[in-house]
Amino acid sequence: MSTTEQRKVIDSRGSFCPGPITDLFKAYRSAQLGDVIELLATDPAAKADVTAWTQKSGNELVGIVDEQGYARITVRVTKKR
Amino acid sequence: MTDEMKRVVIVGSGDGGTFTANLLASKLRKEIKGGLVSVQLVGEHLLHPFQPGNLDIAFKGAVPDKYVRAETDLIRKGVEFIKDPAVKIDFSARSVATKSGRTLPYDYLVIATGAVADPSKIQGLAEGALNFHTGGADSRRVWEALQSFEGGTIVVAIAGTPHKCPPSPNEAAFMLDEFFQKRGTRGKVKIRFLTPYPRPYPAEKVSHVVEPMFQKKGIDVVTFFNVDSVDPAKHKIYSLEGEAFDYDLLIAVPPHHGADVIVNSGIGDQDGYVPTDKGTMRVVGQEGAYCIGDATTIPVSKSGVVAHLQSVVVAHNIIAEMNRAKGLLEYNGRINCPMEVGNHKGIFVSATYTSPPVDQSPSTVKYYMKRSFAMIYWRALGGGLERVFDVFFGQTRFPATEKEEPEKTAVAPVASQGGKREA
Ligand SMILES: Cc1cc2nc3c(=O)[nH]c(=O)nc-3n(C[C@H](O)[C@H](O)[C@H](O)COP(=O)(O)OP(=O)(O)OC[C@H]3O[C@@H](n4cnc5c(N)ncnc54)[C@H](O)[C@@H]3O)c2cc1C
Repeated sequence: MSTTEQRKVIDSRGSFCPGPITDLFKAYRSAQLGDVIELLATDPAAKADVTAWTQKSGNELVGIVDEQGYARITVRVTKKR
Repeated sequence: MTDEMKRVVIVGSGDGGTFTANLLASKLRKEIKGGLVSVQLVGEHLLHPFQPGNLDIAFKGAVPDKYVRAETDLIRKGVEFIKDPAVKIDFSARSVATKSGRTLPYDYLVIATGAVADPSKIQGLAEGALNFHTGGADSRRVWEALQSFEGGTIVVAIAGTPHKCPPSPNEAAFMLDEFFQKRGTRGKVKIRFLTPYPRPYPAEKVSHVVEPMFQKKGIDVVTFFNVDSVDPAKHKIYSLEGEAFDYDLLIAVPPHHGADVIVNSGIGDQDGYVPTDKGTMRVVGQEGAYCIGDATTIPVSKSGVVAHLQSVVVAHNIIAEMNRAKGLLEYNGRINCPMEVGNHKGIFVSATYTSPPVDQSPSTVKYYMKRSFAMIYWRALGGGLERVFDVFFGQTRFPATEKEEPEKTAVAPVASQGGKREA
């Protein structure tokens, strides 16, 4: 990873479907290859939705951590036109 | 109320702005007559469109004029309509500047400038795609294109979120299917639906209805397709994720953003939406300023029903503030978006901030309820149907928990990057 790669934290807590995934896509749109996006979400559907998106799109799911009352979903942008 | 004249300025004479002006004019009739209150409605256009009519224009051949009325026929006595676009909203000076050079001072401001569908935001989209979100004339172009479409692939794509009327792209696919069924050429037409969402409709319970119907009707769904660009010469649409599809006719929902005046006044988030308290509808951190409808950052459907229900809350709260009374109201997030699913059937996407949509089946009654809305819209703008709506929508507002200050944290701007919600 080069030093220019960015880490962005998107706080979608309190927002329900499609809020979190929409927020993630907005960050993805402006991201560069290698950037890391951390999505904070209370919506239980967010984990499955983001996992399915990484599987389909070829982006990397770095991890899902259950914090108190929300999930921290980390994605690395490895596939973008 | 004190003897000093209180000035209400409403910017935007669409659904929410017109209705709020009329509500205030009806509730403050005596005060307006007595010179204690003024209600000024600032608009860009003399003509007021019923935007849901765009679907009928595009897919059923309705003429655009059917869904337009003169704004001056829609406003109540007591409202001063100023057809002179706002160019700057200044919260600290408490004034609105207009294009012709007027300055309108306000005690209470309502921002109702809506959202703008803007195909220019995606490379090739304006040249390569038709749409039914930028007005009646563009919707008519869809209808004209369908007349000469003998066969091939029609792609319906969502090219940006959030957009007005979340069910409208699904409706477009259903209505296309119906159009070609009726014409007897459905077998020659492939309909492909491209969505950035994980399923055909973002809310799972609604998708449970839509997905099997799409399957049955042979509407092909591609999920997680975030539109990157369109190549009009090659007739190809590309996603950020690296997929590409050919089309013979592309109908796309353009990306949306807030009105220019919001951007130019520096009062919006990065997409030009105004950070707004999801309950009281106050602009976050601004005294006497409210925002309603498509113009806010609140993550509920950009829909007329929402603008309408929020208008009721804002009119109430402004009057309460004028009277220095407690008893502000909060909007509960109620949405109620109709979706036509073909063959005279429909569903409603209904929810609040705390209760997501539930399971349902398509019905003819819901279809006709949706159709009747086109007729009652003009009356609804005048405020004459509030009793009926109160029964139909149930509880949509509740007493606010008293706060000393307008709430500092807006809830979940949909476009949160650069806004409050980015940690
Ligand atoms: C195809 C389609 C189908 C739809 N179907 C439905 C449906 O079935 N049900 C439903 O509830 N909703 C539906 N909607 C959505 C609905 O039309 C909008 O959500 C609603 O009009 C929002 O009201 P608003 O007052 O926030 O914005 P608008 O009604 O869009 O009004 C905004 C106004 O602000 C004005 N303005 C902007 N900038 C300025 C300025 N600088 N100065 C002065 N004025 C300004 C604009 O000219 C406009 O008149 C649909 C929309 C579309 C496009």
